[in-house]
Amino acid sequence: MGKVVLYMSMSVDGFIAGPDDGKDHGLGVNGERLHDWLGAGGVDPGSYRPADGPSVTVFDEVMDTGAVITGRRTFEFAGGWAGDHHDGVPIFVLTHAEPDEPAPGHARYVTDGIESCVAQARAAAGGRDILLHGAAIAQECLRAGLLDEMELQLMPVLLGQGRRLFEDMPPDHIELELLRALDGPGAQHLRYRVRTAG
Amino acid sequence: MAIIRLYMTISLDGYVTGPRDDADNPMGIDGFRLFNWLDRRHDPGPSGQVFDEAMSTRAIVAGRRTYELAGHWQGDHHDGVPIFILTHDVPDDPPPGSVRYVTDVRECAAQARAVAGDGDVMVHGAGAAQALLRAGELDELELHVVPVLLGQGRRLFDNLPAEHVELELVRRLSTPDTEDLARRVTHLRYRVVRP
Repeated sequence: MGKVVLYMSMSVDGFIAGPDDGKDHGLGVNGERLHDWLGAGGVDPGSYRPADGPSVTVFDEVMDTGAVITGRRTFEFAGGWAGDHHDGVPIFVLTHAEPDEPAPGHARYVTDGIESCVAQARAAAGGRDILLHGAAIAQECLRAGLLDEMELQLMPVLLGQGRRLFEDMPPDHIELELLRALDGPGAQHLRYRVRTAG
Repeated sequence: MAIIRLYMTISLDGYVTGPRDDADNPMGIDGFRLFNWLDRRHDPGPSGQVFDEAMSTRAIVAGRRTYELAGHWQGDHHDGVPIFILTHDVPDDPPPGSVRYVTDVRECAAQARAVAGDGDVMVHGAGAAQALLRAGELDELELHVVPVLLGQGRRLFDNLPAEHVELELVRRLSTPDTEDLARRVTHLRYRVVRP
């Protein structure tokens, strides 16, 4: 069965976006720096593939996922990925209230909670891993005990302020296990398993 | 010239203590979990190496809060090297042992560099780290990243201005998979890149 894997680029001081992030500026002030491990990019998702090194391994794993789960904010800040994150895999957007406009392309809104969202994504992913993206949805998944692994691209920069990956969490100690550490280029790729109680 | 290097143990979510830290419980709830890797400080391997390096530094810089919570290290952190305590209010009592109080962060950095000579300076504590970073006086960071989420607590990086500071990875040392889970840690050393 596929795993739910969080993929996020994070500064050493823990931010996944700089300050003043918004719909026209999804990564905030200086936040684009966090994506420097990716290729130059363009219309086609494949154009973001890094040139070489371990970053390629991580990028290819992202592109091999069979479904995407994200939150409403991340989805909108990313322009909904124009309805196709990669290869037309289904995108499940967790939201409290379904917008009037239908979801674009391969996206669909899920309003009945994180458990349902994960269950639907698992069914759709056909045994492949599920890409989880966004800070709020990551926190929600962690609180619900539904996150299997985290693949963090730790970027060698301090942003000082912005949106943190880990915020507003309960004071519960969650043990992790480092599964893999890959160096560069331009990022440390750290993969952790979330160890659940028992 | 001496390098001023922060040595700090943090959870993956960036905390140096658990929640509700105070004088009776300086590491907060569950915060001592962060120090399990130190069980290996005298053993061969990455954690022993990093600990030896820390204990080879020739001066210490810490903030007042860390200093008080650590019981002043009884005036001697290691080998009697000078300990510079950054504080707004210099206590009336004379400092113990090799401790001296400094109120200005740049002056503190200059004095620590001078006494360390061709050795390095160890910085300890979130407050001192933030003050030195803001003043542009921190040269390197050695972060001991523990595979745990504490959820809440005191953050290492907090109250910093929205200034983008580039880092450069100097070294990554991870404990081997054969180490038991509680004592695993990733030591990341970064150089602060000056504009």
